[in-house]
Amino acid sequence: MTEILKTISLSIGYDNNPVTSDINITLNDGDIIALVGPNGAGKSTLFKTLSSHIKPIDGRIELLGKNLLSYSPKERAKLLGLVLTERPDDMFLKVYDVVAAGRYPYTDMFGNLTEDDKKVIKASLELVGINNLIDRVFNTLSDGEKQKIMIAKAIAQNTPVIMLDEPTAFLDYPSKIELFTLLKRLAKEQHKTIIFSSHDLELLLRYTDNLWIMAPKKPFVAGNSLQLLKDGVIKDYFKIKDSDNEYLIKENV
Amino acid sequence: MKNSKIVLVFGGIILLGLILFVLNLVVGSVMAPLDDTLKVLFKVDTDNTLNVIIFNYRLPQALTALLAGAALAVAGLLMQTLFRNPLADPSMLGISSGASLGVGLVILLTGAISGAAISSFGWWSTIGVSLAAFIGAVAVLFVMLAFSARMKNMTTLIIIGLMIAYLAGSITDILKFFSLKEDIHAFVIWGMGSFSGVGTSKMTVFATSIIIGLIATFFLSKNLNILLLGDMYAENLGLNIKRNSVIIILVSGYLTAIVTAYCGPIAFVGLAMPHIARFLFKSSDHHLLIPATMLIGIDMTLLCNLIARMPGLDGNLPINAVTAFIGAPVVISVIMKSKKQ
Repeated sequence: MTEILKTISLSIGYDNNPVTSDINITLNDGDIIALVGPNGAGKSTLFKTLSSHIKPIDGRIELLGKNLLSYSPKERAKLLGLVLTERPDDMFLKVYDVVAAGRYPYTDMFGNLTEDDKKVIKASLELVGINNLIDRVFNTLSDGEKQKIMIAKAIAQNTPVIMLDEPTAFLDYPSKIELFTLLKRLAKEQHKTIIFSSHDLELLLRYTDNLWIMAPKKPFVAGNSLQLLKDGVIKDYFKIKDSDNEYLIKENV
Repeated sequence: MKNSKIVLVFGGIILLGLILFVLNLVVGSVMAPLDDTLKVLFKVDTDNTLNVIIFNYRLPQALTALLAGAALAVAGLLMQTLFRNPLADPSMLGISSGASLGVGLVILLTGAISGAAISSFGWWSTIGVSLAAFIGAVAVLFVMLAFSARMKNMTTLIIIGLMIAYLAGSITDILKFFSLKEDIHAFVIWGMGSFSGVGTSKMTVFATSIIIGLIATFFLSKNLNILLLGDMYAENLGLNIKRNSVIIILVSGYLTAIVTAYCGPIAFVGLAMPHIARFLFKSSDHHLLIPATMLIGIDMTLLCNLIARMPGLDGNLPINAVTAFIGAPVVISVIMKSKKQ
């Protein structure tokens, strides 16, 4: 196991107003983490900080043993791939072009794709199971398909870390299960470190082992999902009724 | 779209451009037969009044139209991709308004200081107007660059550009209110746009400046393509958002400033030509769109110049009246056709 991502007394927020402080986490290759919490808990702030869109207020983030902020944008792009809820919106943008964009940090100044780049793009499309969509226009596809294409883009980016913001948000039930399976496969077979945020607590309890929980004015908690459930942390953070919590424990443990 | 089809469409656009270019030399108040025109062009027959008409007037005008068309069209493409807004064009940066303000200032100041209309200064007045337009355009461009270097959000940048355009426009209107009647006329004529202002004397400077800008756009296609995914994705892929928007605004603004200084504020070309290119090639790839938009822009301005100079019109029809009149139906038909498929 290799240590990939580590935070040391990290404090996050905007304009020196910390939303959450004292976050200490260590992630290894192949780890898959779900970030949960009610709206306004600071999930997206943590996301933006870890992807270095905004700077930490205090503490530091280490990516492969080096301070995240010390990487150049190009270097960072080869280490950390993003899948967001926002989608490209363009009338003629093809699926292939979106996935090929993942090769941006590796191509020359004109963006010409080498044979190797093309192989990586093809392999990414195959891994996600969307080779049949390769010539389609991105905008004409369903939410589930778009989600997969953005994941294929992140895979083509060939980064040890992939972060996904609310990847289950617009998906129907079977697509959600499919997504969890895909993420687990990526972690297991490709040794990717995967962090994703989600609101689907019930599904997360069933399909993921590790949770990060955030709630307004409460400390950041990381741990095994079933342990957090048994210890009453989930009940406390999500304001779940006693009877419902007992049901959840009975269902999942 | 298959590669063979792409080549075919490119071939068609280039052929159309060549035909229009020749027609631009042949057609006018004095009709020049095609064989005589070719003789003059290839220096077979030089002792001819046609020689003067073609080399001193029609050729420089056609070249000006060609260069301006390529420059404005590609400047529009850069703006539309940067702002991810199909209605964006170079005027959104306030560049044309800045140019108008420069011209307005010069016209008012000459009137106020010398008491005579600027048009009475002859040759100096055309140089003065071009220079004033260029300085005005570049001044606004620098203001926009300063804002774009500080801002990541493209929507706020568009709003600032529009506000600067309105501000410059209103100052120009105030200046016009205090100007002499003859000068207002000169100002209105400048505002209508014309490809005849460059001529042989200023062609080298004009052509060199435009070609430098056009070449620069080819180095932007990689970053423009990545912008189509959205700013957050582009940033994650390693693009420096602020630096990139400064460069794109600089190139687009530079091209617009030069064309506006020499030809006046020419509308519509920058807004519409990128759409024709996208719909014709059904593509968002800037490796393809940049040359395609330039070539379509060339076809359009050559066509507009030809119509503005039709026999009987004496070359006085303002270009701005023709561009939208010819261009709007073309854009609509291209879009409708592609929707049917």
